[in-house]
Amino acid sequence: MLEVSGLKRGFGSGSNRLEVLKGVDLSLQKGELVALMGPSGCGKSTLLNIIGGLLKADEGRIKIGSSNPLVYGTKAPNQVIDVRRKGVGWIFQDFHLLDHINSLENVILSLELAGISSQDAERRAINAMERVELGDRMHFMPNELSGGQQQRVAVARAIAGSRPLLLADEPTGNLDVKAGESIISLFKELCADPDDPISVLMVTHDPILASKADRMLLMRDGKTAASDIRSAWGESTGDPI
Amino acid sequence: MRPNGKKSFGDQISDIPADFSSAIRSAWIGRERGLAVFAGVFLASLVITTVFAYGVGLSQGALQNSLNDEVYDAKVDFSSQNDWSSRTNDSAEWGSVCDELLDRVEIVDCGLVYGRQGLRLSGFFDEGFALPQPLNVIEVSGPTGNWDNVSWDYPEALENGPSINGDRIMRIVDPSHYDGELADRYSNRVVYGSWPSGDQPGINPVILPSKIASQAGIKVNDTIDSLNFTYVTDAKVIGSELKDCDGEIITRDLDAGVYQFCTVIMTLSDLTIVAVYEEWPFTNPTLLFNPVIVGDSALSVSNRTTLVSNDHAYLGIAIDRNLLPTSSTDDAADWLDANRKELEDQGYGPDGEIKIEYNDLISGTIVFLRIFLGLVQVFDYILMIPIVILSFAVLIYGLILSLEQRKREISIHRVIGGTERGLRGMVLRELAAISVAGWILGYLVALLSVPLILDAVGFMSFEKGDLDVNPTLGLGYTMSVFLLTVGISYLVARGRTKDFLEMEIDEGVRKVRATRKPKTWLQILAFGVGLLAALESYIETAGGWGPWGASGIISGFFVDSLLALFGPFALWIGGALVLGRIGGAAPRIVLKIIGWTPAMADIRRGLRSSGSNESVNRLAVILLLTLSIVTLAAVQGYTGTLVDERTASAQVGADLQVQFEGPVSEDVARQRVDAAMSALDNRAVDSIQSMTSVGSTFVTAQQGGGLVPALVLFDNHEDTLIWDSQASPIRNFQSSKVTIGENAVDFFDLDDGTVEIFFPTFTPVITQTGFEIMTTYTSTRLDYEGRHEWIPGMTGSESTQAVLIGESTYRELAGNSTVNAYTSSRWFFEVCDQTDSDCKSGLERLSAELLNIDGVSLALDWNTAHSEVERNGGLIFGTQGLLSLQFVVASMASVASAFVFLSLVLTQRKKELAILQAIGASPSQIIRLVLFEILAIVGMSMGLGILLGLGIAQSFNGFFAIFGFLFQIFLGSQAVVDRTLVWPWMELAFVNAIVLVSVIAALLLVTRRALNSDLAVVLKGE
Repeated sequence: MLEVSGLKRGFGSGSNRLEVLKGVDLSLQKGELVALMGPSGCGKSTLLNIIGGLLKADEGRIKIGSSNPLVYGTKAPNQVIDVRRKGVGWIFQDFHLLDHINSLENVILSLELAGISSQDAERRAINAMERVELGDRMHFMPNELSGGQQQRVAVARAIAGSRPLLLADEPTGNLDVKAGESIISLFKELCADPDDPISVLMVTHDPILASKADRMLLMRDGKTAASDIRSAWGESTGDPI
Repeated sequence: MRPNGKKSFGDQISDIPADFSSAIRSAWIGRERGLAVFAGVFLASLVITTVFAYGVGLSQGALQNSLNDEVYDAKVDFSSQNDWSSRTNDSAEWGSVCDELLDRVEIVDCGLVYGRQGLRLSGFFDEGFALPQPLNVIEVSGPTGNWDNVSWDYPEALENGPSINGDRIMRIVDPSHYDGELADRYSNRVVYGSWPSGDQPGINPVILPSKIASQAGIKVNDTIDSLNFTYVTDAKVIGSELKDCDGEIITRDLDAGVYQFCTVIMTLSDLTIVAVYEEWPFTNPTLLFNPVIVGDSALSVSNRTTLVSNDHAYLGIAIDRNLLPTSSTDDAADWLDANRKELEDQGYGPDGEIKIEYNDLISGTIVFLRIFLGLVQVFDYILMIPIVILSFAVLIYGLILSLEQRKREISIHRVIGGTERGLRGMVLRELAAISVAGWILGYLVALLSVPLILDAVGFMSFEKGDLDVNPTLGLGYTMSVFLLTVGISYLVARGRTKDFLEMEIDEGVRKVRATRKPKTWLQILAFGVGLLAALESYIETAGGWGPWGASGIISGFFVDSLLALFGPFALWIGGALVLGRIGGAAPRIVLKIIGWTPAMADIRRGLRSSGSNESVNRLAVILLLTLSIVTLAAVQGYTGTLVDERTASAQVGADLQVQFEGPVSEDVARQRVDAAMSALDNRAVDSIQSMTSVGSTFVTAQQGGGLVPALVLFDNHEDTLIWDSQASPIRNFQSSKVTIGENAVDFFDLDDGTVEIFFPTFTPVITQTGFEIMTTYTSTRLDYEGRHEWIPGMTGSESTQAVLIGESTYRELAGNSTVNAYTSSRWFFEVCDQTDSDCKSGLERLSAELLNIDGVSLALDWNTAHSEVERNGGLIFGTQGLLSLQFVVASMASVASAFVFLSLVLTQRKKELAILQAIGASPSQIIRLVLFEILAIVGMSMGLGILLGLGIAQSFNGFFAIFGFLFQIFLGSQAVVDRTLVWPWMELAFVNAIVLVSVIAALLLVTRRALNSDLAVVLKGE
């Protein structure tokens, strides 16, 4: 479903040049929940931003989907609007909901921006809100919801457009443990949805949450160093698991 | 450093240069966020400095202007400490005092004058000022001219100063006046002949005022056989007995009381008219106005002794005016007072026994000016209040936005251990650096702009005048401006920073402080009161509306006055705050109207989140405040300019108005003006292009009814008379049309838009009982075209009490023979193109030349009248300049604040725009969304701002009218033209278009910058 190959990205120039991504290769299957871990500054968020169309890579290729795939990587954010509309849905640590419209409208807005008619957008948004179990909170303003509920709205916004991939950048960073767990559970449910399974690539520093993922990727030296959770954890800490 | 971490005082002092230098660096780095603060302080400094410097320039200009109208700077009388008998009656001794006075560097000329008695005054209206009487001319005879035609009454003297004397005065001058400074000053006014240049044996010179020369019909070098004048020997308040009067006792009713004066006649013989001078305007009343001037060679020794003995002698002094401080009237008054004291403390004469009383005429002028300028300045200060408030609003809003922009930076500083005190110091030092820069620039620009303001001859119209002002501000004023700008900026910043830092501690760095709810009820109340004031003003200027009469809705004087004074401000501030909310909600309002369109489908919901943002509301309020001031200044400025022009047109009526001593025919009038043109020999005014008169007769509303004045416009009058849309609803009266003045309209029955008027003819009939007047009537029915407000060349009362008909109607009513034989004492002439400067100066000279033509009693030219009205009429010295400044500053402020605030607002919304992009919005959708939102706010605010400005202009109109009326009373001119507001749509459209273009430019620039920013970084909040 997602294929990333040879992705490189550096910052700065001359002697100050820092190569953050040095040729990342990874792939995600449909319905897979993958946790991306690694020390601060290793390039996790950079990788996520490039996959999510918020940043361009210096080199490399990204492909999302199989039929009519979205292929990009070195294109500027303004040239990959379709990626954000049809390919990936974003979940942020700070939720990033618009404060002055209600939860349902936050979801509808993202659909309307993608060119979906208002009626269709509303139907899909309601469906998405129900999928994240906020059918009874649809008309609440964001500040009337708890952190966990706000993050669910963000999830609904991300999945409402039938985007196959969710990118979650520390989605539980601002949530308590219980709310964090419920978000991970929601991810798992969405990934396991037999009718419309999605894939989730999640950056987290929490090993317990990461352990609930299907698979873990460890970023080290600008590359993904492991592709299964146990070896990744073991290699990361140097301890036997 | 002390153990508690606080710096010692010494350390603090030694750190100042480093702190200030780092503050300047920080201010430069953060210049974008500081721009609003800079703009606010700059505006406040510019406006406040301008108002103060304008006051200084005004007093300098007015002082210069007044001095130009005075010959003598001081009148020196011998002291009255002892009784009069102890004083000298030796004119030679007076001369010796003059010599001693001339030893002083500040006195450049001195001469003995026989004229007004010694002043013993403490004020313009006390007995010591009123009782000293002048010499009055009572009779002149000579071989040429018609002296019987001369009126020696001079009522204008009573109307233009304290009541002292209402007759033509006389001044007898010694030969010291024939050279030096005094001669120069007198010579400046001479229009015919020349001021005596030396004592000419056998010639007793006379210099006449032009009006007297005109009435007498004499010429230079004509002679006078005898001139009788009176002097006063004694005076007593009525009721007291005036003993031993060798002359006539006359009674004068003066402001100080009713007095009896013993007047004695003195006769001068064999005089020669050597010059005619143009009369001075009525300014300082101390020496009274426009005397007949005679050389003292005409006086015998005994005459001199008599006049001196009766206190009719004084020394006229000219000081070196270059030494007079012109920085302000206060400085000048101080300098003059110090001089007076020194001169009075000194003893004169061989033994130093002569003491003098030095009556400083410039100080008198200054007293007069202070009263008048005080009034002008009160008016102008009030006028400038809105722009001062605006500048503070920009400053405070800018400060708030600037601080909000620094939240994150301050949070980081706190996290790394910054103390509240240290952070506050950091913010305040930076703001101080920005404020000081804004203050200095505003101060300098203001000082440079004041001379221009004082040169304003109309709204946005400037012409280099004669005034040479240098309006520098003293330390006190400079410090006041500094405290009012940098000080207020610092205080507001300190309060805001303190609140902000406390909030950071209380609520944590990520939370936003709960904002205090604005007092909506107070805003609505202020707006309501302001609207009431505007409505009241409209009703009063319109003479009534709906159920209300001309006194308006509120009849109580006190409440009505309070409403007139404070209503405009309540309307402005309340209106801006209330309407600002509508402006802020504009995107949602417009969305409701056009949200259904396909063009809006994808961004509709995004727009629903806009407008509720406090910054957006501030943008709307600032735009409303600025654009309403732009509108106010433009409306009142253009109205003032037009009122001045209309007043000149109403007073003069054409290029040139000539009044003759008696009715003359068109041919005679033309011949006389042609004669003046020939004598003048000026190319610009060498022929009459057209001429007309306004006929005057009487009509009645019915047979036997009361007589109503009727004015007749002759065919082709439009070629000569200067009409204006306000004057009359129509100009072509050829086909049975009539307009009626306000005070005459009630006499007539206006049926179906027509009115029947009757023309009476009076015929004497001899009857059995004697002699009767038989009245016959001819009548006609005319189309009533409405009321005329004024008629060119006619006074206000002449216009409003009359019906106005055309020549054809007059012929129908009075018959051709009457009309063909028409004569008038007032004729109007079109001579040249007034836009040509040669024409203007030519007309001024022609009107002066005409006074030398037999039978001409008065000549007025439009340009001179207009200049006088500009300076003394509806609005005073530079007020048009201040309105122009207000217009320019508010226009600049609206453009700058739109740019700055928009930039700040969009910078604040960078994250929101990044979120929208992250969830799929394209750059074009973002631009559309921002454009729609901001343009809706700006467009709505502009529209509401103009409406608000129109309301304020209407509301201020009563205020302007009151002050205009006061000025006119003070300067003795007659208000003839109502202050009907003019709406300069083109200028307003131009300013608004510039604002709109600036907004779009700012939008595109800032939005593009937001779109090009690193989305990942913005979303991460780094």
